[in-house]
Amino acid sequence: MENFAVLLRRPAAASIVSLIGVLVFYVFAGVELDKLFGAASWVNYAARIGIVALPVGLLMISGEIDISIGAMIPAGAMTTAIISGHYDLPIVFGILGALAIGVLVGSINGILAVRTSVPPLIITLATLVAMQGVVLAGSRLLTGSASVPLNAPDWAKTIFGNLMFGGSHQVIIVWWVILAVIFWFFMHHTKYGNWIYAIGGDKESARNAGIPVNGMTILLYIMTATAASFVGMCHSILFNSAQVSGGMNDIFNIIVSVVVGGVLLTGGFGSVAGIFVGALTFAIVNKGIDFTAIDRNWSNLIIGIMLLLAVGMNEKFRKLALSHVSKKK
Amino acid sequence: MTMMKTLMIATTTALMATSAMAADIFVVGGKPDDPFWSRVKMGAEDAGKVAEAQGGSVTWLGPQNYDNLGPDAAELIRQAIDQGADAIVGPNWVPEAMDSAFEAVVAAGIPLVIYNAGGIEAADRLGALNYVGAVDYKSGYAGGEYLAKAGHTNGACVNTLPGAANIEAFCSGFNDGLAENGGTGSVLQLPATAFGDSTAVAQAVRAHLLQNPDITAMFAIGDQDSNATISGIQQAGKTGSVHVCGMNFNDSILANIKAGTQACAIDQQGYQQGFFAVSILNNHVMYGTTIPTREILTGPGVIDASNVDLVIAGVEAGAR
Repeated sequence: MENFAVLLRRPAAASIVSLIGVLVFYVFAGVELDKLFGAASWVNYAARIGIVALPVGLLMISGEIDISIGAMIPAGAMTTAIISGHYDLPIVFGILGALAIGVLVGSINGILAVRTSVPPLIITLATLVAMQGVVLAGSRLLTGSASVPLNAPDWAKTIFGNLMFGGSHQVIIVWWVILAVIFWFFMHHTKYGNWIYAIGGDKESARNAGIPVNGMTILLYIMTATAASFVGMCHSILFNSAQVSGGMNDIFNIIVSVVVGGVLLTGGFGSVAGIFVGALTFAIVNKGIDFTAIDRNWSNLIIGIMLLLAVGMNEKFRKLALSHVSKKK
Repeated sequence: MTMMKTLMIATTTALMATSAMAADIFVVGGKPDDPFWSRVKMGAEDAGKVAEAQGGSVTWLGPQNYDNLGPDAAELIRQAIDQGADAIVGPNWVPEAMDSAFEAVVAAGIPLVIYNAGGIEAADRLGALNYVGAVDYKSGYAGGEYLAKAGHTNGACVNTLPGAANIEAFCSGFNDGLAENGGTGSVLQLPATAFGDSTAVAQAVRAHLLQNPDITAMFAIGDQDSNATISGIQQAGKTGSVHVCGMNFNDSILANIKAGTQACAIDQQGYQQGFFAVSILNNHVMYGTTIPTREILTGPGVIDASNVDLVIAGVEAGAR
């Protein structure tokens, strides 16, 4: 019993309980679980937002936020498609180009965040809008069109954009799981993870304790932007095309899934396991609605209510965990 | 909480009514809150009433937004397969991204109808039963034909999106519609920056009409452009002598048609697309029937003073 209580106080527990709550609701709403678990759509979606949610979650734990990810997903996709589709250069250049643009924009975000006193929300809002402009103008200028076809060679498709098991599961799911393990190790088993918690708790104290706050912050911004352009790159290879788009929804979906995963918007609290489960929960909420007989016109209302309940549950568990006093042994 | 319970009970009973011997039809389309797609959805659901009476169902799958249109729609098509669809309807918006998903539908032995975008070429290429939708060229042609038959034989098509394939098709259709009915047509090319800028479009139309006093017919490629063109005609002092047809319609365009300031509007009739695609598939799954007519055209539908009142009634019902 005591073990169970300890388990419940772990940061990821709340997100797991929300996930179970969501599944119970859907069972009552008429979802056949075997059909839901057999379907690929929500796992694909979870991987798409989950890969970006991992670094965004760490960034949020460190007390910062990055909304330019919304523009970086299409930017990564368009970079790959323009380099390797329109100009017919080998796909390696397209892949490197997409990652490079992620590193570039991430560096700009990070340097602006540590060098100026402008809030990160405003900085990344500016890069979000600016990148939307760069992608649209660049695409029209270079290709004359807002959507570019791409034909990737088989090896690139196998690694980055393929369907697995002869079904509809995308290979990006494997990337998500691998990246989650790497991030989990980085966050919970190296000193860097502790640094991130310390920065999120109190930046000045962290700096005084000798933590390279600026370097860590810039690194986290580079990771978020690059993860987003990576997802875009994989998508363009899988779907043989890329199009200019706003990506506004991705911003909210990714940040909300991080919050559902138990990360505090104010920083200092959260875990990689929670972020992983958060993306899973968010994807099931979003796609599970299609498996019910509920009229599609209601779907946004129900998604909104379920997310509110999931986040509310997190709050409750976090308070429980933080206010718990262990009995003296 | 009670509302939630009622909702759950309602949905579970709705689900239990579904039996294995009926057609569960999945329709992939636009967002349900998009005005055009809400009409398509209504058509699909109205045809679905027959399927429901037979124990089947119609499920609408739409993306959250249009940012990632091709891949999102491809995902929804694959999801419909996973959900055990007996038949699938889908638009071929982005062939590069969506063709493989449609091929998976056909490979799974699920009857498929392409609608709204892609044309009969897409249906043939992918092995779909049929295509239900409008053809851009024929929409423009209908506008040219209508105005030429009304005696307005010298026309210009206002192209605010030069280079876009569907817009070029509207304009070449319009000019052919005029030419084949004894008239002549030309294209007024505007820079792409004019798209959505009503003032710029109106000014360009005014100048063009003053330079070319023989023009008596104009074609606009969208509902916003229709209003801008009418305003340009007004500013040139040519109201009543230059007549306008335009693609699509909204409340103000219907009012203009009723008042006589716009001659006609060309509609692709989204309700029909949902309705016929679902009926074709339901009858095919239930009884093995087919529609040998390839390419079921739902447009162009011409709206003019003679039928505008019916259209207004259709708007109130949510079908137009």
